[in-house]
Amino acid sequence: MKDIRKLTALTKAGITESLQFRLGTVVTLFGNLIYLALVYFLWKSIYASAGSDTVNGMTFYDTMIYLILATAIFNFLEMFILWDMSRAIQSGEIIMHLLKPMRYRWYTFWSYSGSHVVSFFLTFIPTFLVVMIVTKGAVPVGWNLLAFICSLILALIVNFNLEMLVAPICLYTESTWGVNIVKETIVLLLSGASIPLAFFPEGIRRIVQYMPFRAIYDIPLTVLLKKNGSDTAGGLSSMILFQLAWAAVLIIAGNLFWNHAVRRITVNGG
Amino acid sequence: MAKEVLVMKDVSKEFKVLKRHEGLKGSIRDLFSRDYTSVMAVKNVSLTVEEGEIIGYLGPNGAGKSTTIKMMTGVLEQTSGEITVNGLVPYKERTKNSEKIGVVFGQRSQLWWALPLIESFKLLRDIYMVPEKDYQDMLELYRSLVDIEPILHKPVRQMSLGQRTLSDILAAFLHDPGIVFLDEPTIGLDVSMKAKIRELIKGLNEAKKTTVILTTHDMGDVDALCRRIVIIDEGQKIYDNDIDHLKNYFGSYRTLKLRLEDGSWHEQVIDENKTDVMHVIQETQKKHRITDIQLEEISTEEIIRKIYEGGKAS
Repeated sequence: MKDIRKLTALTKAGITESLQFRLGTVVTLFGNLIYLALVYFLWKSIYASAGSDTVNGMTFYDTMIYLILATAIFNFLEMFILWDMSRAIQSGEIIMHLLKPMRYRWYTFWSYSGSHVVSFFLTFIPTFLVVMIVTKGAVPVGWNLLAFICSLILALIVNFNLEMLVAPICLYTESTWGVNIVKETIVLLLSGASIPLAFFPEGIRRIVQYMPFRAIYDIPLTVLLKKNGSDTAGGLSSMILFQLAWAAVLIIAGNLFWNHAVRRITVNGG
Repeated sequence: MAKEVLVMKDVSKEFKVLKRHEGLKGSIRDLFSRDYTSVMAVKNVSLTVEEGEIIGYLGPNGAGKSTTIKMMTGVLEQTSGEITVNGLVPYKERTKNSEKIGVVFGQRSQLWWALPLIESFKLLRDIYMVPEKDYQDMLELYRSLVDIEPILHKPVRQMSLGQRTLSDILAAFLHDPGIVFLDEPTIGLDVSMKAKIRELIKGLNEAKKTTVILTTHDMGDVDALCRRIVIIDEGQKIYDNDIDHLKNYFGSYRTLKLRLEDGSWHEQVIDENKTDVMHVIQETQKKHRITDIQLEEISTEEIIRKIYEGGKAS
């Protein structure tokens, strides 16, 4: 594939660009500390008031590991496509992106890829190592790490395409902030990033089970922690297939919507 | 005959604009309004551009210049008419078309903000799949035209506007595109940077036979670069010919300056088709003593101003 040269070039540039702002990593790590302190005390009191060691099959310990790793994944996946795209549309900058000799969605994905690589090494890996050391091996180490990486990449693809599906809405509403808040809240709540899915009431959990958000946080974490049968071949493959299926659906839907949205730019001039 | 690289046939562009009403009441009404008015930004413009030309695409603010450029590059779709660029229909095959064109839009930059210029160049080399040898040759050509060493390793965000514009122009030519669109490239630049950029554009056009479509409000750009000028006003093409013909467009104008015995200069713009310069001098001499005479050709700027102010001329 001749395209590889274009793609690696974009990734490399993204890495170099992200590394220019290395102070940002420090700020992220510091912000995480504050957030995790909050999470710690919140759940401590939840478990204290529950009066038992395990709530919904998870100990306090399990919950903390789950949420800390979810935060690490959040830092890894975080992207500002919605902001960037709406700013680009409002300023007219989007023209420069549309005039690249690559399809816009493809170009955008690979432009962001470098910053993911950087955040993986600078925020995810350190957080993961700290969890490993502090818990002295609560995270199983083995083939699950490989499965986790695959699952994480799929999570990235699902998340990207979800962003790309939502972002063009700004073209119609002309309000970025509102759309972004709605999207963030839905994703963080229904994906298991802020509350482990195990804590959801049975009825809601059954619905959330089929939604794409789970593919972003809950599945990679479940795979990593070898929970819910993800350590069996059948369990693992059904989870990966679930991610693949949603990735495919979102890619197709996002493409259709984008093609419609881009016509709004090319017909009305943005 | 030279190759035609860009053909526009009866191209029009219509924008639909929501009618806005005044005041708070009006704004609330607008929420539910489906009341659109249409604005014709470009009306039946036809244009044929041959390989290697530098065309000055001129017109007053809001005349439809940028709209035309956007249609040529494929980011806007025309309402009617046909456009082909390098044999492609731009809006249908935007990505493919982009491989063979270069674009500089005045205040925008396609460079990577945080990276040194050389990194942007390498990235563009890879995105446009430029062979290494062609890339090196192009850098060599750049070096022969401008002094790029001081800016090559400077991050774009630390550059002055002039350096950034220069860099953006170099970036647009990097993949040796057949056509380059320059939309007000010298806007906001000082005289010496303008001169440098004009030389660069001219040099690249000569070396690579690149067709250049240039929109500008600076007649210095036009005088330095363009042999052919296209003027549009209110979306319609009102002039398309050599710059030399332009001087005769409104008649052959010259400015006659006469210094009289009291030391004052008297200026008069003369249309040589109607009045004879010698006649004016003789008439003046009957009343005053002339101590000095100057005769100036009318500048492109003055002619263009006359065209803009006069609208469609005969």
